[in-house]
Amino acid sequence: MKKNKLKYVGKSIPIHDVTEKVTGRLKYVGDIELHGMLHARLLLSDIAHGKIKRIDTSKAEALPGVKAIFTYENSPNTLYNSHVWLEGMEIIKDERLFSDKIRYYGDRIAAVIAEDAKTAKKAVDLIKVEYEELPVITDPEEALKEDVVKIHSPGNVTFSKELECGNIDEGFEKADYVFEDRITTQKQHHAAMEPHVCIAAPDPFGNITIWSPCQVIFQVRLITAEVLNMPLNKIRVIKAPMGGSFGGKGQPILEPICAFLAKEVGTPIKLQMDRVQTIIGTRTRNAVIGKVKTAVDSKGNILARDIDILVDNGAYFTNGSAVNMAMAKKYFRLYRIKNQRYKGTSVYTNTPIGGACRGYGSPQIHTITEINIDNIARSLNMDPVELRLKNLVHPYDEDPIGGPNLGNARVIDCVKKGAEAFKWKEKWNRPKSKGRFVKGVGMACSTHGNGYHGAYPDFITMSLRLTEDGGAYLKSGIHDLGCGTVTSIKQIVAEVLDIHPDKILAPEGDTMISPFDSAGTQASRVTFVCGGCAKKVAELAKDKLISYAAKILNCSKDDIVVEDGLVWSVNTPHYKVSYGSIVTETQNNFEDSIEVTYTYKSPSNPGVYSANFAEVEIDTLTGLVRVVDFLAVHDVGKAINKGFVEGQIHGGVQMGIGYALSEEITIDKKGRIKSDNFNRYHIINAPDMPNVKVLLIEEGEKDGPFGAKSVGEIAAVASTPAVINAINNALDIKINSLPATPEKIIKALKEKERTVNRI
Amino acid sequence: MKLEFTVNGQDYTLDVNPDDRLLDVLRDKLGLTSVKEGCSEGECGACTVIMDGAAVTSCTVLAIQARGKEIITVEGLEKNGELDELQKSFIKNGAVQCGFCTPGMLMSSKALLMKNPNPTEEEIKRAIEGNLCRCTGYVKIIKAVKDVIEG
Repeated sequence: MKKNKLKYVGKSIPIHDVTEKVTGRLKYVGDIELHGMLHARLLLSDIAHGKIKRIDTSKAEALPGVKAIFTYENSPNTLYNSHVWLEGMEIIKDERLFSDKIRYYGDRIAAVIAEDAKTAKKAVDLIKVEYEELPVITDPEEALKEDVVKIHSPGNVTFSKELECGNIDEGFEKADYVFEDRITTQKQHHAAMEPHVCIAAPDPFGNITIWSPCQVIFQVRLITAEVLNMPLNKIRVIKAPMGGSFGGKGQPILEPICAFLAKEVGTPIKLQMDRVQTIIGTRTRNAVIGKVKTAVDSKGNILARDIDILVDNGAYFTNGSAVNMAMAKKYFRLYRIKNQRYKGTSVYTNTPIGGACRGYGSPQIHTITEINIDNIARSLNMDPVELRLKNLVHPYDEDPIGGPNLGNARVIDCVKKGAEAFKWKEKWNRPKSKGRFVKGVGMACSTHGNGYHGAYPDFITMSLRLTEDGGAYLKSGIHDLGCGTVTSIKQIVAEVLDIHPDKILAPEGDTMISPFDSAGTQASRVTFVCGGCAKKVAELAKDKLISYAAKILNCSKDDIVVEDGLVWSVNTPHYKVSYGSIVTETQNNFEDSIEVTYTYKSPSNPGVYSANFAEVEIDTLTGLVRVVDFLAVHDVGKAINKGFVEGQIHGGVQMGIGYALSEEITIDKKGRIKSDNFNRYHIINAPDMPNVKVLLIEEGEKDGPFGAKSVGEIAAVASTPAVINAINNALDIKINSLPATPEKIIKALKEKERTVNRI
Repeated sequence: MKLEFTVNGQDYTLDVNPDDRLLDVLRDKLGLTSVKEGCSEGECGACTVIMDGAAVTSCTVLAIQARGKEIITVEGLEKNGELDELQKSFIKNGAVQCGFCTPGMLMSSKALLMKNPNPTEEEIKRAIEGNLCRCTGYVKIIKAVKDVIEG
């Protein structure tokens, strides 16, 4: 075995469809035209809460080119939950295709089908809706009150749970100090550059085919079949090229509607949202209010911690429990704290719906706790790096609430190596700048998971066949979201088989031909779980190749050497045959195929870890913050494709800085959304991005393919608290509400001035 | 209304409506689907094309405003089956992830290099400030453009 000499794993091979992307030839769903296709557009509500008294579609129907209009009156009333990805999950079902009751600004009222998209839009504007308005709740704390309006009939509180380890009271009794913070995080838009879109087409056999840039093909099929009351086999879902998702296209939103429209009208339908609809009418990162209380001794050892988390579901439940539990789990897996409690509650509000969003609760929980950790350090006059090093988890620590072992958790390495590379000590101890422009540094840590093991079924089936020309065909339900999944999986298979990745065909998911996968591209499971399966199935195929090669070359299996597409026996090294020849001879002489199907169950769920370091410059006159230097250190086990890993981290930091400084779906008291396009919803652009530096800790994870762990989600976590901590340290203020807009910074500075003056 | 213009070196005369955007005409009439619609208000840059040497967001330009002008889209970058240096550099530097912003990024960078073959890093950032990308944090995109200059 040639250890440590990897040929394909670790290399920065470009994403599989890069040429089609740089030439503009790749057809995204919005670019596809089918014969006889009609175009659909949704009417979304422009009030946040009320009952529909009357819908007048007569003017819209009269518009030339309009083919059909659907509302709650002529569509299925099946209740479903778009978060469900596996049959048998028990959960609140409160969505339907079109509502008769409006629960937020953006609720779906109708769909118009027309000859072209322009006509559909015109017709939507001609629909008149009369409402009986109801009181609006936008504040999750308001939703908790007993005497307020109920958004859904069972009440506004949808979930509550308490988890504890150790003895919380004992921990607090021993404390020298207790530090409390109340921190709020906002709703964030995923801002994939491709707005939501879907095509569905019926066929003469009564089947419906859906092309969707989705994350979980089997989930799209499951939900669509449920809503349309059709057998699963009548619905085919094809994963189409994806113009970015970040969780936003995780839950099927347009697919069941589009399939319904196609079924009713009998023609292919393209249902497309524009940016405004994508911001208000899809999903958001759940807003959270967190109250955290931490007990420490005078040396900075954390003795106990207590947190109370309130999750804003928005108007429908979707993942209201799952995101809360995800936060709970991460809370226990970053620091060694003996006594801890997590209390989580989720509530409905008349605001945009929460859903999966890159990090899935990690950005919220770590923003809240990592700001608190830094506030403790400042109060104790300790270097925040030192405080963390005293308390962070160590490799192979147990999860204190009984979850999977943390695995090779290298967060301490991240902090130590990062501090050195960032010259943290020097920057931290630098005298504070005075004057208008003030610089400061901050850092933060985070953890995330590797799949669902320990929480939900986590398995995938893959089939691998070696071809007659020495290539390989991997059949599986993978989804490339633009992160390089296809190429990474090919690199893993290529490494095992010792053939070039270009010789491997690895199409993306299609429910008609892909073997089953339990969970799709969710929960940072793809590299660790799907990659694990790819490695295993390739090993089994290689073993089969060796078995037949031994028969063909008339030697024992142990005598067979397999290298670079060639096979030979150690007894006859001059006689080398290609994989393809073995495949062909196996077919002709043994009536068999070098082909293996394997179902891989994820064996563990270790943590991934990161430490991010930020330097900011603040204009104290305007409150504007610029991140001027940034280092992201990530414990990734092993990078399967270094370029992709760096790319994930660069993009994650962009999302995290935006979350810290400028991104917010702003909602007024009436529930109206103000930041409904990019001129009012500010994501970080090129001049405002620092030149992010990446440092990888590659110490290997036992169950990961070639030691690999996840990176895509954790990439978007620690940057947010790192930036906020840098601001707080620079200005000696306490930002406790995200995003840290210039207004909030000026306000905090003025408050500080007043406090100083009083003293 | 009659629209006479040049797209990727070819002359066209098209019948367009007064409210047709350049984006609609390029995508729907000429099938140039590299031109993407991301926000419909000129903020995201996915629909950027080059018009008479300048990068413009084709969702905020009326088709008729392109009368007599010369338009370049990504489809026009490849010459005799060979990719433009900028396209090659985007591939080499891993500047492409989901690819939806890529055509717009390429056109803004190309417009910059057409005017200024030796831009500074700051000038590159300014040239793509109207092109939003959620995947890359712009790091490898900027590197790809720089690489073409340093060549």
